[in-house]
Amino acid sequence: MDQFIEQIITGLSIGSILLLVAMGLSIIYGSMGIINLAHGEFVMLGAYAAWMFHTYLGLGLLASLVPIFLVVAAFGWVIERYVLSLLNNRPLDTILATWGVGIMLQQAVRLMVGSELRYVQLPPALSDSMDVFGQSVSSYRVFLFVVAMALFAATWLLMNRTTVGMKLRAIIQDRSVAASFGINAKRVYALTFAYGAGLAGLAGALVSPLKSVSPDMGTGYVVDAFMVVVLGGVQSLAGTVASAFVLGELSGAIAFLQNDTVAKAIVLLAIVVLIRFRPEGLFTARVRA
Amino acid sequence: MSLNVSTSSGLQRLTVQLAPLLIVCALVFALPVLLNNDFLLNKVARYLVLGILTVSLGLSWGFGGILNLGQAMSFGLGSYAMAMALKLKTVPVHTGADGLPDFMVWNNVTSLPWFWEPFRSLTFAVAAGMVVPALVAAALGWFMFRGRVTGVYVSIITLATMVVLNLVIIDQQSYTGGFNGITDLAQLEIFGVAFDAYGRATYYLVSGCVMLSLLVAFAFTRSRAGLIVQAIRDHESRVRYFGYDVALYQIFVFALSAAIAGLAGMLYTVVMEFASPTFLGVQLSLSVVVWCAVGGRQSLVGAFLGAVLVAGVQGALSESAAFLETWTLVMGALFVLVVLFLPKGFAGLAQAVWRWIVQRRHVAGQEVTPGVSQTEGST
Repeated sequence: MDQFIEQIITGLSIGSILLLVAMGLSIIYGSMGIINLAHGEFVMLGAYAAWMFHTYLGLGLLASLVPIFLVVAAFGWVIERYVLSLLNNRPLDTILATWGVGIMLQQAVRLMVGSELRYVQLPPALSDSMDVFGQSVSSYRVFLFVVAMALFAATWLLMNRTTVGMKLRAIIQDRSVAASFGINAKRVYALTFAYGAGLAGLAGALVSPLKSVSPDMGTGYVVDAFMVVVLGGVQSLAGTVASAFVLGELSGAIAFLQNDTVAKAIVLLAIVVLIRFRPEGLFTARVRA
Repeated sequence: MSLNVSTSSGLQRLTVQLAPLLIVCALVFALPVLLNNDFLLNKVARYLVLGILTVSLGLSWGFGGILNLGQAMSFGLGSYAMAMALKLKTVPVHTGADGLPDFMVWNNVTSLPWFWEPFRSLTFAVAAGMVVPALVAAALGWFMFRGRVTGVYVSIITLATMVVLNLVIIDQQSYTGGFNGITDLAQLEIFGVAFDAYGRATYYLVSGCVMLSLLVAFAFTRSRAGLIVQAIRDHESRVRYFGYDVALYQIFVFALSAAIAGLAGMLYTVVMEFASPTFLGVQLSLSVVVWCAVGGRQSLVGAFLGAVLVAGVQGALSESAAFLETWTLVMGALFVLVVLFLPKGFAGLAQAVWRWIVQRRHVAGQEVTPGVSQTEGST
């Protein structure tokens, strides 16, 4: 029983990291139809920003979260404005363009800060462990779970309870009709992309104390995040949450029974089959086509 | 694309389209005369092989509209087929009883696994190097295109499938050599000719295959099936309404592309003298996409030259780490610019310039026939 609870908690922990990384991707893909292969690099930028704020300004991780969000969001805004907005109606080409941008970001960081591994300190207040259902769990992992859920709530409110969110939903339904009602689609898209990038940056900063920071750390995340988005279904934020935790539990469980490699292979295969038979994702209700 | 305007103009157009292809092949064959350095020739042969791989991607992506992000999977399968056959021919120094490969001995495997058995025959291996990738692609194509999976989802499925195979190969160390791949191979020997990786014979073998695959790909794009495939790329449902079995044509071009990639993989093993899981890695697979896009995805010669030149420059710069890193940055920028402003790559640019020159000449000579504009050649 203890082992079972431990497994569940491990799964939740993996799931909350997946959710953090996938949320920005889900918003960008779901609302703009852009497959953002530079997403992993936004995660990486966030992690490096955390390291830099700490090393050069002496800021702790928690204090630098807001500036990190803003910095990475600014990167996202520039990229949307000067690269992606030129690629309207060419969804396949956005894969290529964002991948090129990703390479540039990765190389630029490598040239400027070097490719050696960097480490970010755990916030001292969260470095102990606490008791959850009779299990001792690191406080930081509990914190990550809480932050992931809080960010999800904030994003949901932003999409469904604010004017910008309403404009975005109008554009998703019909861009030209929305535009004829005076909505500035370009501006909303740029803001959306910036927000998604900012979330990725936050994710990078938040996972940086758990893993080492390197220029190519984003590559692994982007693949996992994609699987979450595909499984959860495009345009469904709640689906992203559900699939992040399902995938988290699943990879935790298979890794426990077999090994990491097998876990990864099985999850990937399951997703391939899923795309074929349910391309709209597991957690979306079929609305009108 | 109308072939029946008149025989002479059709023939003329065929010549114009074939000319760049034949010129490039001639240059490839002539290179050893100019470059008397076996080490460099081996490097060039390597880039030529990557060129074949890129042509195969151009076939499915540029002509079929299928962005296969897992093209390196077929390449890797071909590479391993050749490596398995050559491994079984090694002089048994480190090998176990009955020529059991060394890494199997280290992993306590006592007898040759059943799927290694047929690779004792080189003929089988060479056939398998192309047939296996083609069959795998056909099965995957059947799985995807019968379900009308399109666009981005095709890219995700192909990429994910390749990653799975890569993970399996790395995981099954005792049967595949795992992370180290299959090394320490014998030389390929066909009809008494030994193909030393640094020998002229290997270079000419690669050149011959370059020419062969370019011609096969060219013939396909000019064939009826090839034209239908291009029509599917441009407007899938319209072709479907005409009553064509869209999925069948897509599966065919997908499998053909995989077979050519498999051929490239086999040659790569001969040139590099080993096979490794990186040959079916994400890195290589995405690089192929870059080469293809920069060269020109809708031009076979363009895709080929894109790979050879970009990979060549990268190889030349790799002597110095600082150069290489700057180059990667430049490459990323170049790639983004090409995607934004030159969707048909440098080949598209060259074609546009060529058309402009031809038109200028016509205007100057006052022999313009109105309404007859040159349709773009897709060599």
